[in-house]
Amino acid sequence: MIDPAHNSEQVTRILFQDFPLWMTVSFYIIGLSALAYFGYGCYVEIRKYKRGKEFPTLPEMGAKAWKMVTDVLLHRTLKRRDTSAGKAHMMIFYGFAICFIATSIITLQEDITKPLFGLTFWYGSFYLWFSLTVDIAGLGLICGLLYMMYRRKWLALPKLDYTRPDRSPEDPDFSRMKYKREDWVFLWSLIIIAITGFILEAVRLVWLQADSTVYDYRWWSPVGNVIAEILQGVGMTSDAASTTRMYLWWFHGLIALTFIAVIPRTKIKHVFTAMGSLAVRSDLPIQRLPEVDMDQDKIGYSKLTDFNFKNLLHLDACTKCGRCHEACPANATGYPLSPRDFVLTLRELAEEKLEGKSMPENEEDLRALGTGMNQVRSETLWACRTCAACVEICPVGIEHVPMIVEMRRALIEEGDFDPMLQTALQALHKSGNSFGDNKRKRPNWSKKLDFKIKNAAKEPVDVLWFVGDYASFDPRSQKVSQDFAKILNAAGVDFGILYEKEMSAGNDVRRVGEEGLYQHLVENNIATLEGCEFNRIVTTDPHSFNTLKNEYPEFGGKYDIEHASAMIQRMLSDGTIKLDKEIDATATYHDPCHLGRYNKGYDAPRQALKEMGVELIEMTRSRDNSFCCGAGGGRIWHADPIELEKPSENRAKEAMTLEGVDTLVVNCPKCMTMMEDAVKSTGADKQMVVKELIELVAERMTLDAPEEVEEPAPAPAKEEAPAAEAAAEPAKEENKGGDA
Amino acid sequence: MKILVAIKQVANLDDDFEIRDDGKDVDHDFCDYEINEWDDYSLETALQIRENNGDEGEIVVVTVGPDDAEDELRKCLGKGADRAIRVWDDAIEGSDQVAIARILTKVVEKEAPDMVFMGVQAADNAYAQTGVAVAQQLGWPHAAVVNALEYTPGASTATANRELEGGLEEKITVNCPAVMTIQLGINEPRYASLRGIKQAAGKPLDEISHSDLGLSDDEVGEAGSVSRVRKVFVPEKGQAELIEGTPAEQAARLAEILKELSGA
Repeated sequence: MIDPAHNSEQVTRILFQDFPLWMTVSFYIIGLSALAYFGYGCYVEIRKYKRGKEFPTLPEMGAKAWKMVTDVLLHRTLKRRDTSAGKAHMMIFYGFAICFIATSIITLQEDITKPLFGLTFWYGSFYLWFSLTVDIAGLGLICGLLYMMYRRKWLALPKLDYTRPDRSPEDPDFSRMKYKREDWVFLWSLIIIAITGFILEAVRLVWLQADSTVYDYRWWSPVGNVIAEILQGVGMTSDAASTTRMYLWWFHGLIALTFIAVIPRTKIKHVFTAMGSLAVRSDLPIQRLPEVDMDQDKIGYSKLTDFNFKNLLHLDACTKCGRCHEACPANATGYPLSPRDFVLTLRELAEEKLEGKSMPENEEDLRALGTGMNQVRSETLWACRTCAACVEICPVGIEHVPMIVEMRRALIEEGDFDPMLQTALQALHKSGNSFGDNKRKRPNWSKKLDFKIKNAAKEPVDVLWFVGDYASFDPRSQKVSQDFAKILNAAGVDFGILYEKEMSAGNDVRRVGEEGLYQHLVENNIATLEGCEFNRIVTTDPHSFNTLKNEYPEFGGKYDIEHASAMIQRMLSDGTIKLDKEIDATATYHDPCHLGRYNKGYDAPRQALKEMGVELIEMTRSRDNSFCCGAGGGRIWHADPIELEKPSENRAKEAMTLEGVDTLVVNCPKCMTMMEDAVKSTGADKQMVVKELIELVAERMTLDAPEEVEEPAPAPAKEEAPAAEAAAEPAKEENKGGDA
Repeated sequence: MKILVAIKQVANLDDDFEIRDDGKDVDHDFCDYEINEWDDYSLETALQIRENNGDEGEIVVVTVGPDDAEDELRKCLGKGADRAIRVWDDAIEGSDQVAIARILTKVVEKEAPDMVFMGVQAADNAYAQTGVAVAQQLGWPHAAVVNALEYTPGASTATANRELEGGLEEKITVNCPAVMTIQLGINEPRYASLRGIKQAAGKPLDEISHSDLGLSDDEVGEAGSVSRVRKVFVPEKGQAELIEGTPAEQAARLAEILKELSGA
């Protein structure tokens, strides 16, 4: 590798070669100033985060930090749903990191080990391998940057369009031009640093072509050498190269130092904030909303200083990649919310209010809720369906939903919300369900069964079925509840329900921000459950499932709980459920947010469909990218403005594009309500029906008891049943005829 | 400034209720109870007057009703009322609107507020008399069915818009103190968050009896009433049919019914 004629210590790069002393000194002064400016910037940023509430999680940071490191090294979060951008970023990341480490190694020798201990190592074969590595890294960096430029300029991706849905053009904070410019300055400055680095390398080779300790090893800098050959080819002499090198050296050095100096002030800071943000991620950011000390003077976030260190760090981590913007159902259907703009709005407010030497004296100046510059409007917060598509896909681990809910908590305290929601909340308070129906009506759906469901509040059961509001009161979902009861009964499961003792589990009440009411419901339900004897809980409602599973433990209610689809899948696999009828269905499956994204229940329902022999055709947006039906986060208690497309309609249209699909399978009573309406309003009902997974199972079983009547039933009931059946039968046939 | 707001806990009927055995009332097992809707608006009127005038003064809510009615008073306290009074004892059971008005009159005399707000009517019995009866017994001016109000605490008069039949409105000025019965829609009542209600648990809620107000046994209850309920019943007339089936079948059945009724 090293020519025996050469002393290996001479095979290196002489730093500041031929520099007069004043120049070297100047460089050090400029370099140290840049570092000082960088350090000051970091101080300002950290001071900003610390102006938020304390965030005490240090003990558990170890494991999280490791997860962050692996996520960053593997670029796991960045490659999702945008592989090419992820790969390009990986090239930039590794290119930049290697160049940075390389520079640090030189600094280590030159400014630390050599002056202090006389130790040098940057020469010989280490130097040659070093040169090769840095060349490849630099090339990767440039390629990655070129792709990013191409992507920004020519792909014109909607997610990179900064048009805000939460502002109109006449608003002073509508324009996002600042970011557009910054994006380009960032890309150009980085690529110029890399390119001038290579040219500098080439010019050095031309300049020192007579020095064999340099020139003989030129192919260890392949990129630099190719450029050098070209320069020589166009007639650059050693002298000309020497002069050029001096100018170029300063040019390259000055932009590189400026780049470092402005890191904390610009989007470049994401190299640190993104890692920080990933490291402070919660284990259950959406599943378990932040706890609240109910005895405080006020709850929720209404001003910037209500946000904690972690929240403020999250805000600074955003790179505006637009993945959340693209995934958000509110944004997709024209509501004034984009998770990206929610984050940027608050970030700008924090930059304006919390970066100064002192804090604004007037508390009102810190207000984050409102209609002013960089304040979050209440209509933006109420547009959220807490479907968590944003949290799911954010590559830097920003947790939008907990912040939105915290701000809603403040809106609830201030009374800034839709009157319809008020009606629902009052009903929940009064009667424990959002329908405002008398408690005693909760089990009414079960009266139509030809067997009696055990009352789990009165006798021991193996499985306690927590029915939930929609499955109890909504007429369409009541049918599903009846089917599920029949399935459990046929499978010989020892189960019971709580009858009128059950109250809404409160999942959506919490997500609306009415924490007091939520806790009231939780306390009642836990007290009821404590008085019952059961081994495990099942529910068909993913919302109840989520809060019982993830949030009740915080209040002392720890249960073994399963969603109905998982239970059904299990019973299908082990033969407890016997299917004895064939059905012919080509289906697509709509993942409920609270079962899928929230609790990773993607596979059981699909497996169940497979075992039933249903052909499943997936929608493009499925599993973790499932598109919310629009009901979540209490939106089901709001009226959607008629001029806007409903998320459920958007979803129905997506299902319609699938060839041959005749069944839209849902797995949540709220999705059922939304999608039933949506297939009608979009005309999708001409080609498909909406069915719960449970209904498909029931259709494949012989469930209805034989029609013999053991004892004379009361006259009206006897008359009613056959009449209804008779009416239903021809109707079905007529429908089929119509379709054909 | 002191405003007194009288509220009532009203019964909300289930779809399938039953009449009590004595035939004089609905079986209470079939009722939910909630604050009378009109009273939400009158409390909101009081709260807004205070908010728009420097947050000064006291708002007292009062009800005549059994233990359960305390829930409604707590909600009012949660929304911002300062103090609550609940008048009840066994002798009060069976009071009609005049007897209730007599009790409320005593409370007003004791509290001496600058203004009394009540709902136009109660959602259950719908007499629409209690408010004006209180004014009558106090000898105070009143304005009924108020859908807009200009009043500054301490002023000697208040100007109210009254909703009349046929879409007409009347603007009247009354001397204060006065009794106003407040109509729905005058404002948008606020929401009492559960946390607010819990935090208001420390606010005073006095429970008093008719004798505390200096009323004798024969001034309240059935003895003090001028009317009595003879019978509560569901009129036999009327019929309803739930039309089921496909839209086409439903339409056909509807057309059939229309033809039948029009005698065609």
